[in-house]
Amino acid sequence: MLRKNTYNELLKIATKIRSYIGIGALTLLILIVLFAMKADGKSYVGFVTASFEQTLSFNGKILNGNLIAFIILQMLIVHVPLLIALVTGDLISGEEATGTVRMLATKPISRTGIVLSKWFAATIYTLIMTLWLGFLSLFVAKWMFGTGDLIVLNSEGLLVLPESELAWRFGLSLMIAFLALWTVATLSMAFSAFAKNSVGPIVSTMSVIILFTIIGTLDVSVFDSIKPFMFTTHMAAWRSVFEDPFPTSTIVESVVVLMLHILVLLGITLYRFNKKDITS
Amino acid sequence: MKPWIFLGFLVIVANFYSQTADALLKSVVNKINLVNDYKAELQVKASIPFIKVPIANATIYFKKKDKFKVESKGIAILPKQGLSDLTGFLGKTSAYSSVLGEEKTINDHKTQLVSVLPSDENSEIILAKVYISASDALIYRTVLTTKNSGTVSIDYEYNHNKQYGLPSKMTFKVDIKKFKMPKSVASDIRNNDQKKKYKENEKGTIILTFTSYTVNQGISDDIFKAD
Repeated sequence: MLRKNTYNELLKIATKIRSYIGIGALTLLILIVLFAMKADGKSYVGFVTASFEQTLSFNGKILNGNLIAFIILQMLIVHVPLLIALVTGDLISGEEATGTVRMLATKPISRTGIVLSKWFAATIYTLIMTLWLGFLSLFVAKWMFGTGDLIVLNSEGLLVLPESELAWRFGLSLMIAFLALWTVATLSMAFSAFAKNSVGPIVSTMSVIILFTIIGTLDVSVFDSIKPFMFTTHMAAWRSVFEDPFPTSTIVESVVVLMLHILVLLGITLYRFNKKDITS
Repeated sequence: MKPWIFLGFLVIVANFYSQTADALLKSVVNKINLVNDYKAELQVKASIPFIKVPIANATIYFKKKDKFKVESKGIAILPKQGLSDLTGFLGKTSAYSSVLGEEKTINDHKTQLVSVLPSDENSEIILAKVYISASDALIYRTVLTTKNSGTVSIDYEYNHNKQYGLPSKMTFKVDIKKFKMPKSVASDIRNNDQKKKYKENEKGTIILTFTSYTVNQGISDDIFKAD
């Protein structure tokens, strides 16, 4: 029954126009970035290497598909959560807004089953979005710009990662990005369980992300103790995959924190939906 | 001694030393001029503050007078000064004046310092201190003071292509200016650790190892065309 209901939930997602807004917007954004890089990517690279250009010369193909993929991931990982929340924030509250939640509850499936099937559907949608992001940023960018070593700029300076190491790093970074987006999807579902319309959960999800991100970027010691517990801090863990030496403990910590967030938020959603008065 | 005799003596001595410096440089330039073109495999090992880069392999091409190209599949970081421009600069004997300096032993080679001062006020090189071994007419060390790249020190090692003055190994020590991170490019919100502090006059080392030289075999001009 759970599988059948998950399939039904996926069908519901597939029939809604808003589900394609996310994929369409993502495609358009990536195509714009690819076009911009094709037109004026060299000046962007110059911006990265500017601090060293007077003394050193950088030879080889710096502007390649791997760098473009990294830039796209860096740019979009902040915005994709909105596109995810647009769909997942509607999953429970949408049923309430249209009144179909009562009909749904008459099915031979528990309320926990209903939430889990919606959550599985949200997970699959998030996975599709992540894979689409990966496909466009990696494969299309490589097809357009070729391949090569990756030059990464971080607060420590410049790091050049050899091409041979990049396949697994990109794979792992996409997995962590998926985990981060999955957390956002679960958060918006949790908000959705409390709301009676779709706008509230979507706006609330984005507000939380913006608020936590701002707190995370503020270099004030007051927030240092809470930063490690905020999921937004760990949403950037995909970037740590491109560090050398590989920060295993940091990445494991981020994965654990994100997983815990998912479990706690799912627990809240289940508790709330089971207690929800849908009869009046 | 009358002053004009002393002055005359000074002029003769200065002229003698200048001629010796010119002669030393000429012996080096004559060797370099034997090379019309060359191709070599290059291994680049860089240890630079604020930059972490794996060992890179590249192919370099040179053709007289000043055609030079580095072809690398990966990203190779090379010094901006002292690779191909120095030999070109020394080749233009009318573009500088030279003065003989101290003797110094570098890697068991007895060398003589020749200070080279460019005549052109717009020259990127302000001063080149070239340590030349008179016995084999080879440069064993160069210290370049430049307008934009700070000071670059280069140590040379030779093996099979001594007759052309082509080194088998070059060790560059370059000044690294303070690294300024463009914040819009690197949004590293996780990193709250103490950042690496810049120390004044930090030096970076780049070791270039040359192998498989092919000298004077002819190189097509097409190779030097921009990609």
